[in-house]
Amino acid sequence: MRRMTGTSVPFTRRAGLLLSGLSLLGVVALLWPFVLTVSSSASQAHRFDAPIELMVLVPLLLLLCASELARGSFDVRAIAVLGILAACGTALRIPSPGVAGFEPMFFLLILAGFVYGPSFGFALGGLTLFVSALATGGIGPWLPFQMLAAGWVGLGAGFLPQVSHIKFEKYLLASYAVVGCILYGVVMNLWFWPFGIGSSTSISYVPGGALSTNIAHFFLFDVTTSLGFDIPRAVINAALILLLGGPVLVALRRGAHRVTMHPLDLPPEGAPRSRAPLIPE
Amino acid sequence: MMRDDRPHAWAWWIWAGGLSITALKLSNPVTMLALGGVLIIVGALRQSPAPWGRSFPMFLKLGGAVIVIRILFQIVLGQRLPGHVLFTLPTLGLPSWAQGVSLGGPVTAESLIVAATEGLKLALVLLAFGVANAVASPREVLRALPGIFNEIAVAVTVGMCFTPEIIAAVSRVRSARKLRGRPTKGFAGVRGIAVPVLEDALEHSMQLAASMGARGFGRASSTTSRLRSWICGIASGSGAIVLIAGVYGLLSAQGTVPFPGFSCVLGIVLLAGGIFGSGRRSVRTRYRPAPFGWHSAICAVSGWLVVISALILSSTNPSVISYSPYPLAWPAVSLAALGGMALGLLPLVVSKPGAQLSSPTRLPPAKVTVDA
Amino acid sequence: MIEFSSVSFRYGAETPWILKNVNFSIDEGEFVVVLGPTGVGKSTLLQSVNGLIPSFSGGDFAGDISVDGRSVRTHDPAEMADLVGYVGQNPSASFVTERVEDEVAYAMENLGLSPVTMRRRVEDALDVMSLHDLRDRSLQELSGGQKQRVAIAAVLAAAPRILVLDEPTSALDPGAAEEVLNALTRLVHDVGLTVLVAEHRLERVLPFADNVVVMGIDGTVTYGDPIDVMRKSPILPPVLELARLLKWDPLSLSVRDARRRVATLRSSLTDTPLPADRASNGEVVALVKSLSVRYGSHEALRKLDLEFRSGEICCVLGRNGSGKSTLLNALAGVISPTQGSVSLKGANPFNVRAQERIGLVGLVPQEPGDLLYAQRVDEECSVADKEHHLPSGATALVVKQVVGHLNGDRHPRDLSEGQRLSLALGVVLAAEPDVLLLDEPTRGLDYCAKRLLVDELHRLRDIGVCVIIATHDVEFVALSADRAIVLSQGEVIAQGPAREVVCHTPVFAPQVAKIFSPMKWLTVEEIERVI
Repeated sequence: MRRMTGTSVPFTRRAGLLLSGLSLLGVVALLWPFVLTVSSSASQAHRFDAPIELMVLVPLLLLLCASELARGSFDVRAIAVLGILAACGTALRIPSPGVAGFEPMFFLLILAGFVYGPSFGFALGGLTLFVSALATGGIGPWLPFQMLAAGWVGLGAGFLPQVSHIKFEKYLLASYAVVGCILYGVVMNLWFWPFGIGSSTSISYVPGGALSTNIAHFFLFDVTTSLGFDIPRAVINAALILLLGGPVLVALRRGAHRVTMHPLDLPPEGAPRSRAPLIPE
Repeated sequence: MMRDDRPHAWAWWIWAGGLSITALKLSNPVTMLALGGVLIIVGALRQSPAPWGRSFPMFLKLGGAVIVIRILFQIVLGQRLPGHVLFTLPTLGLPSWAQGVSLGGPVTAESLIVAATEGLKLALVLLAFGVANAVASPREVLRALPGIFNEIAVAVTVGMCFTPEIIAAVSRVRSARKLRGRPTKGFAGVRGIAVPVLEDALEHSMQLAASMGARGFGRASSTTSRLRSWICGIASGSGAIVLIAGVYGLLSAQGTVPFPGFSCVLGIVLLAGGIFGSGRRSVRTRYRPAPFGWHSAICAVSGWLVVISALILSSTNPSVISYSPYPLAWPAVSLAALGGMALGLLPLVVSKPGAQLSSPTRLPPAKVTVDA
Repeated sequence: MIEFSSVSFRYGAETPWILKNVNFSIDEGEFVVVLGPTGVGKSTLLQSVNGLIPSFSGGDFAGDISVDGRSVRTHDPAEMADLVGYVGQNPSASFVTERVEDEVAYAMENLGLSPVTMRRRVEDALDVMSLHDLRDRSLQELSGGQKQRVAIAAVLAAAPRILVLDEPTSALDPGAAEEVLNALTRLVHDVGLTVLVAEHRLERVLPFADNVVVMGIDGTVTYGDPIDVMRKSPILPPVLELARLLKWDPLSLSVRDARRRVATLRSSLTDTPLPADRASNGEVVALVKSLSVRYGSHEALRKLDLEFRSGEICCVLGRNGSGKSTLLNALAGVISPTQGSVSLKGANPFNVRAQERIGLVGLVPQEPGDLLYAQRVDEECSVADKEHHLPSGATALVVKQVVGHLNGDRHPRDLSEGQRLSLALGVVLAAEPDVLLLDEPTRGLDYCAKRLLVDELHRLRDIGVCVIIATHDVEFVALSADRAIVLSQGEVIAQGPAREVVCHTPVFAPQVAKIFSPMKWLTVEEIERVI
């Protein structure tokens, strides 16, 4: 079997700028409880104002970036593959939407991001969560952040180095799955924590509090509330990659082979030449 | 089919947005319960018979769970707010790095009230989303997106249409494997099912792409000049900087960044202008868009009338909007507040139950009269 | 209108040329049929007309194709969308929206037509394909024939001047196929479209063809008048085979024409006895007793009583959705009967352990690819060996018997439809089942590939296997079957010797039977033997 490596949807400078801008904003939107000094007088009202502002801003920007990414970097074939892989991811989510951390969707997302490249991975992560929310009527205030976080998981997978040995590849992807799934959980907690459990518990966000206090509170919040879901999820997805990674990667690469972008304008008449820059051997 | 006698899907979402913002502004339990009542009435009466209509009861349960969990957290991990002690739990000390986290201790009525109202607040936001999910057709939401979002909307539509086919393919491959006496469970089973389904799906996507391309998907009318793309690049870059500064300003203490709200808006406008000014112009038009008529306008505006009424009340009669259990007393009730919340019921007047947005799969195979 | 000038194309350096220095041009308003053996690249030729090849596929492309003055070198498929309408092989894979009406409007939205125009053209397209009653239906719940009509309406609405169709009837039962082909011929006559169609039911389209394109396996293409070109074609429908046998000049393309010309032969055959029907007297291996299967409220099978003997080939006919696949699935033990019983050599296939069942019954499903999941042909065979506890190499041997040599390094998905079917068949046969079930085996097979399949099935029959085939392909039934059963709405409406059953109704009658009607001759070989 021919080994095909390399990603197929190019990561253009434009896409890079867009995604870094969006990610920067995402980081600000998530880390504000730690980095920003909030005067504690305004704190009570602010706890709920900040989420409103973010609830409006983040989806708006997500939409803008996603559509720009789609029109700028993806051709019709990439769009079709994107839609269909999002359907596969949704099908993986439907039987058990998050039950006890059983969310095998990340396994497909990571493998697809690895094969098709960072911008495709980002788009697929966001799109899969959006499609499944839409299909099941589950659009909630958490959705934009879920999309962003899953997008990051796919983006990161696209940046993983292409290794030449199939076994290393599997281990690399599986370890990334562990990290990615746990970080996904952490990101979702970061969003929820400042307002989700109220002001008056001892693991709550303390507006204007010391950085160390807030980090400790967040850590405890994360451990007590969601690590029990995040770890099984990470293990399941890593196991799926180890077990199914080989054939699924082959299938995705065979697909990628056909999605490979190439300029649409043909050279003028001349000797036969290969147009599609097939994925390098 | 009459299409303009019911609110547009986006009108419902705008309405729900208004109500959820109101919920975040409230802390008076009575007014909150009134808002909850409005949401439950509208949800129960207008929930769609299509599959997505099920999200209303789902979100209702989720909201209930949020309140319960909030109270449990307060009891177990709560800070010991002063007040009337109801009962005392055994205390458990945690190491010093836990930064003053305490388990157990005396539980006061005040702390439970705070927990319950904050839980209720989140539950109301969830419920507003739940009602919008259950009432507005996701298909219509997608179709009404502006043309610049066409590509992404197509990918989403494809994803939604193809999900049931994936599920059907899984059962088809399963039974084929069963026939061969090959395992359908365990690792070999999962592998044997997942791989053919994925291969099929990817093959399908190539045929789909061919069909989309052949039907003019991604047709562009013009490309842009170099100068214009420079201008647009600068606009979007500066937009992003202004926006991030604005967000920082909104989140941090007053005065860090001048006019944070305005900076956010300006940033978004610059960014959007830059992004779409430089993009290829699509020539796309839309076939029979669902109209956004006066029904829709009333529905959308009513949600924001609730916000306005809450804002007015918070300056004229703050006690019906916000509530604090110190001193412990019954929350204030006023007809004005209840009336203000009841404005959220207006969409009931301009919509019909169930009839709106029924799923095409639920339509009987009957003849449909054409409105010329 | 369409001009191919020295076009050559292949998918990659290691694959053979599919088109080699192809030159021809098609005038406006022509109806052109593209034909050639399975896997020769008919789809490639069709897709090159609007530039899907090479701009979607990649590959080596030389020469130029110009369509109404637009070169595929400078225009991508989207820019051809207002000129060329392309309908792919699998209509359900082409749908972008959820509803019939939206799907029909989709191309026009992309072209940026005004809402008023769109509204009018959608109505027109729905009219032409008689889809008015379905306009608000979800695409997923349509039948195969309806889906195909929607797919055609969806490109017609954009008012292209050229319509390209790839096997528009391959998945349809004879009735639905007729609907689609009638609509197409109506378009050619009324609207004056230029139509390019690849179609294996040649008998139905050839009479309308102004010209045909015959593709050879070496990449050469012959273009010209059907009567001239078909003389050398490797692919012949029965009517032309007959014409060749009887050395008619010029050839006749339609059944109607042939019928007139065999008048004398027919009268000379009045006293010739028909070949004897072959009835098996083997033991009854499969017994179906008052079998009913219900899916929810839908009754797929109603009180069927059937028996199948070893050493016979029995075809199950019927419209899409008449219960053919359900019957096969019940026989294979995939589904459990709601009422009644199925027994294979006295055992209920639903309860038998999988390892025993594969020696009892084997089913090749409609998508033979569902059975294959290995990465290479070799691996597929060795997995089958292991699973059936066979000596290694046994499956490979059976596969070789069925298809001849297959390159073991190839990915099963890259095989042609015929090869993939044969591989699946080989894998199933390796367990030596007593009952072999085939669901629509002839989809995408040309006449030669079908012939090979028939020979293999006859060999199996002769060693005592009971072969049961669900199909709509009446020519295949005529060639292969001893017995035929017609299902409608889950009930048996006719059964008996294949000759009697298929000659009974014009829908199921093969061409030769139509030509010699009311005599019950089925195939050209039978005629050849008696003259």
